[in-house]
Amino acid sequence: MNANPWSPRFSGKRLLKNELNLSESVFKGLLEKGYLIEIPGIQKVLFYHECQRCHTRKPSHFGKIPMKTIQSFSHQNSPTIKSITYCRNCIQMGRVSTNEPLYEWNGPVAKPRKIKQPSVWRGELTKLQSKAADAMVEAIRNQSKLLIHAVCGAGKTEMLYRGLWIAFRNGFRVCIATPRADVVRELAPRLRRDFPSIEVAALYGGTQEVDVTAHLVVATTHQLLRYSKSFDVMIVDEVDAFPYHHDKSLPKAVARSVKDSHALIYLTATPRLDLKIASRLKQLQTISIPLRYHGHPLPLPKLSQVFKLHQHLQQGTLPTKITRWIDERKSAKRRFLLFVPTIENAHALSETLGIPYVHSESSNREELIHQFRNQHYEALITTTILERGVTFPSIDVAVIGADHEVFDEAALIQIAGRAGRSADDPDGDVTFFYNVKTKAMVKARQYTELKNLEGKKFKKESN
Amino acid sequence: MHCKICMHSIEKDTTWSTLFDFRERTLCPSCNEQLETIQEPTCEKCMKQTEEKLCSDCKFWEQYWGKDPLDRNVSVYTYNEYMKETMARFKYRGDYEIVHAWKDSFQQTFKEHFPKESHLLPVPLAESRFHERGFNQAEALANLVDQPLFAGMIRIGQEKQSKKSKWERLLASNPFELTETPPENIVIIDDLFTTGSTVRFAAQLMKKAGAKRVSSLTLVRS
Repeated sequence: MNANPWSPRFSGKRLLKNELNLSESVFKGLLEKGYLIEIPGIQKVLFYHECQRCHTRKPSHFGKIPMKTIQSFSHQNSPTIKSITYCRNCIQMGRVSTNEPLYEWNGPVAKPRKIKQPSVWRGELTKLQSKAADAMVEAIRNQSKLLIHAVCGAGKTEMLYRGLWIAFRNGFRVCIATPRADVVRELAPRLRRDFPSIEVAALYGGTQEVDVTAHLVVATTHQLLRYSKSFDVMIVDEVDAFPYHHDKSLPKAVARSVKDSHALIYLTATPRLDLKIASRLKQLQTISIPLRYHGHPLPLPKLSQVFKLHQHLQQGTLPTKITRWIDERKSAKRRFLLFVPTIENAHALSETLGIPYVHSESSNREELIHQFRNQHYEALITTTILERGVTFPSIDVAVIGADHEVFDEAALIQIAGRAGRSADDPDGDVTFFYNVKTKAMVKARQYTELKNLEGKKFKKESN
Repeated sequence: MHCKICMHSIEKDTTWSTLFDFRERTLCPSCNEQLETIQEPTCEKCMKQTEEKLCSDCKFWEQYWGKDPLDRNVSVYTYNEYMKETMARFKYRGDYEIVHAWKDSFQQTFKEHFPKESHLLPVPLAESRFHERGFNQAEALANLVDQPLFAGMIRIGQEKQSKKSKWERLLASNPFELTETPPENIVIIDDLFTTGSTVRFAAQLMKKAGAKRVSSLTLVRS
């Protein structure tokens, strides 16, 4: 079926010429045959420029390169062009400009082969997980949309297995898009283990892996900027998270990367307003999972007020309330995570406490997280980067400076959701230390109470 | 206004003192802080940060090639981690706009060290590299300073400097060729001064062709 040797590499992608990595003669041949089509890199839409890869329109995202130079070469494109415009927003993936177009495959489309027995996973789903799994199978069959609203620790990954199984049997191409590279690194090996006969490509900034019509692509959302009409099933993990929620170009990238008829599945513990409204208006089919897989309630965050907390943080000192909390953990031999608002805070606190810290720019972050998971460290200080997606079996959590603006409702709910993840140790302590009580903190507590109530009701009904 | 390097907004609060300030800002405070200007003590010839009067690179050249054709080098910034990253984006990703972030300090440095009647020679780029990148980074820097350019030199070699070792660079043959007679006062412009061999090869040719003073202004001394 895949008669064309280039088809598996380029089907469903939108790439720069140097990403195609073809010799000039092959490249020209494919263009002439119409197997590759050229798409202008930057398009003028009314008064704006729009990058055709990342779809940004912000004027500040575009730069100019003057073409009038003393180093004029014989085959300069055309002397009338004064300057070329390029996109600075996605330049890390290679430059897109008015002179550097993108290419899409237009030849015979490659499809992953159907797999009869894709999974070796023999685990069992809880009733609630099963409900979500069936809804997902339904969505894949009908090529429709679905929101799975499941609390942290509900076992989201396992819920996907039944749907994935159906998809791979039908030879569908599936993508799991998640906001963070850490999550890709955690998820991909797990899926490889449980689905050994399928091809998986894990893509994030800096990987060497390539997707040659893989059955399953596990990728950070940014990687989807290289795709176009590629996937039959798109699973967007943590839709409410930064940067997906924040960056308008990423939803556009998701919309572009799926085929015309596709199933779209959103996963989150904390849907934002737009999804909540769509769900209430029955525009978006929704499955709610209020209970963790082990059936125990979510740990309720404790609120603890500390005066002049932010002054303390700035000086790198700690108020007694917090040192007491830490000492209690230490004497009980409990491992813990400390969340702080900024990188500077993390650095200062790490100096006073002698505990390692991670943040978005730390070079050894993978290693630190790995070592903490393997119990090499008793504690870890972190910024919001570890708020979601990562699972440490049995830990306590404190947020120091929970009234800072980076800790919105969703962030606090997610952070609280790091505690009590394992069935052997379902209770974890979650404490928010703050100076001024914020709406986000109150809402996060209310959310937990509400979900626990829903969970209790469900348990009663099912008994 | 947005920072040319990190692209974050640098809008200031409007007060009476900022209301009539029309200067264009191209750097945010955080990026500005990370740009590290070269501090004394330095090699008096090439501004390498060292305790010695003459650094090993300069000594080596004199030992190996004889009289140094370059009168002196002036650089603006050190090659710290931040600069390495920024440089990589500027040169290898081809993010031209970044050049504007260095405008003020580059202009300032030129004024401080060089006479007004100097001609600038941006170090030419091999044709293949120019086509890959779409611009010559040295010329982009030269355009920041309002001075006449001298365009009578071409590059024949194709090899990347950054892929070579220090020894290979110092012992390589001259990759440049002159196509016009150079003016008397020349300031060679380049982005990076590492061992100084590129700049010195260019200087050598020009001195031979009759230039009187040949110095260089480079953005970074590594």
